[in-house]
Amino acid sequence: MKMNRRDLLSLLGVSPALLATPPAHAQQTKTAHAAAPSTEQKFEALNPKGTPPPVRLVPMAPRLDTLSGKTIYLVDTGFMGGGTFLQQMQIWFGKNMPDVTTVFRKKAGAYPEEDPALWKEIKEKGNAAIMAIGH
Amino acid sequence: MEKMGVPCVPMATQAFKDLAKSNAGKRGMPHARIVFTPHPVWGKTPEQLMVYVEGNDPVTGKPMIKEIVDDLTTPVAEEDKKSGMADVSVGPPVFGPETADNLQKYFLDNGMTDFLPIILPTEEKVNAMLQGTSHHPDEVVGKMAAGAFAPWTFTVKQVAVNAVMAGCEPDYFPVLLAIASSGMAALGSSTTSFAYSAVINGPIRDKLNMNYGLGALSPFAQSNATIGRSWTLMGKNLTPGGVPGDTYQGGQGNNLDYNNLVIAEDEKNSPWTPLHVQLGFKPEENVVSLFGGPDVRQGHGAKGAGVAENAMFDEQISYMFHSMVGDGALVICDPLVAKHLVEQGYDTKEKLSDWLWKNTVRTAKEFRESFLAYVHLYPLALQGREPYAAWYKLADDTLVPFFPRVSDINFVVCGGQANAFFQVANMRHGRSASIDKWM
Repeated sequence: MKMNRRDLLSLLGVSPALLATPPAHAQQTKTAHAAAPSTEQKFEALNPKGTPPPVRLVPMAPRLDTLSGKTIYLVDTGFMGGGTFLQQMQIWFGKNMPDVTTVFRKKAGAYPEEDPALWKEIKEKGNAAIMAIGH
Repeated sequence: MEKMGVPCVPMATQAFKDLAKSNAGKRGMPHARIVFTPHPVWGKTPEQLMVYVEGNDPVTGKPMIKEIVDDLTTPVAEEDKKSGMADVSVGPPVFGPETADNLQKYFLDNGMTDFLPIILPTEEKVNAMLQGTSHHPDEVVGKMAAGAFAPWTFTVKQVAVNAVMAGCEPDYFPVLLAIASSGMAALGSSTTSFAYSAVINGPIRDKLNMNYGLGALSPFAQSNATIGRSWTLMGKNLTPGGVPGDTYQGGQGNNLDYNNLVIAEDEKNSPWTPLHVQLGFKPEENVVSLFGGPDVRQGHGAKGAGVAENAMFDEQISYMFHSMVGDGALVICDPLVAKHLVEQGYDTKEKLSDWLWKNTVRTAKEFRESFLAYVHLYPLALQGREPYAAWYKLADDTLVPFFPRVSDINFVVCGGQANAFFQVANMRHGRSASIDKWM
């Protein structure tokens, strides 16, 4: 699977300019210097970056044809306010889309950790999930 | 959820727009259907949050609920059904040839520095740094990440490049490799603006001319200064971290991030057992112990610690604990403070830690209503992890220790004995690593 390296670098938070050799601004400066005689010494410097892992693409799950008659889990994954927000969303669904069943849960474990028991429950009893993090 | 075949809409506040999209891409789902709320949701009433629910996603401008429904029901595009692996490049192995000024600017413009001038990592200087260890330049040292991002791997040579940039001497290199091998990054991703500390014990402190006397925590020794700086540069370059708005979210940031709190413990003038020996290492071993947490505060005076007629130390430190949001304390005592405390009966660090742990308490209700408990510890209680699970079952007025374990309170000694001052870093011990292993 080929991905656009520039897009991937952006996703990694790395400037795509790193792909350019020599650096773009250096080339501009080089051009400017080329016009005027210069004896300034030039160097090569080693790249200080570590090695990122390859990106494993994850296919998105098939979507539902409709939410009517379906069960949606509202999962608070942590931090302040996320739970209260989702509880308001649950009220909204109850009033405005009563044929949708909503189930509110708070994820167990530290915020980056998986919650296998909850994931299993959603897989078995739910049709979709909305997961919110607060702040 | 998506991996399990369950369609999912992740939600975050608008402030995390870049982070959320970037992190989804790094985890293999570049077009994840993320919906955003206005920022913040914290501190808003239920009525205010209902307005958010009924309003628009501030990033797309679309009605939030309609966007959620569409994201759960609109068929997935062919490109989002693909699987497979994709390599990622972080650029060529060498930049240049260019003038020194242009290379300095290039490193700065591309986020590879701490915005202070660096020593350019030429092949010659990096090779000189590599003489500081017997390990092969291509040996993989470990993995490191800030926060919950996928960690990057790095070699001895890649650590050496960052060590050169920071101004380190080759003799310092085993310390840096030990820090790097721990996998603990010095730039966190938390909005709490974490800072980090490296406590160095063993004979290497004198070999490297580390300052543990007057002004031990100030810029008066090349080794103290550049070892700490190198740790920050490693956090920027050997990990995906240190990109504001993406992998760095520290609200106000932390000045300690420039070179961290590097402490060489004064083992000669301390009346107590050195930290590394407390942790199970031998006195002659060289060890670095890493701590992390939000801040440092200063206290005056050494008298007290449970002595009723002069209770300065315990009152101050207890007060400090009560205002901490982190879950550990690293108490940095001037030798004068430590000696006074020994005179008052605290002849070991463990006795003092035990006294503080037992006497700095709060009610179970106060614990449960604390920021730390609400955000980080209640989810652990849900998993049944102790002592938090038990603390959530206690009556409101039951007293509980401020920190979960007595080992969360640690002491180190340094300072010039100019006055009996101490500092308390709201930092918890993370990992310790052997420096000798990397010589």
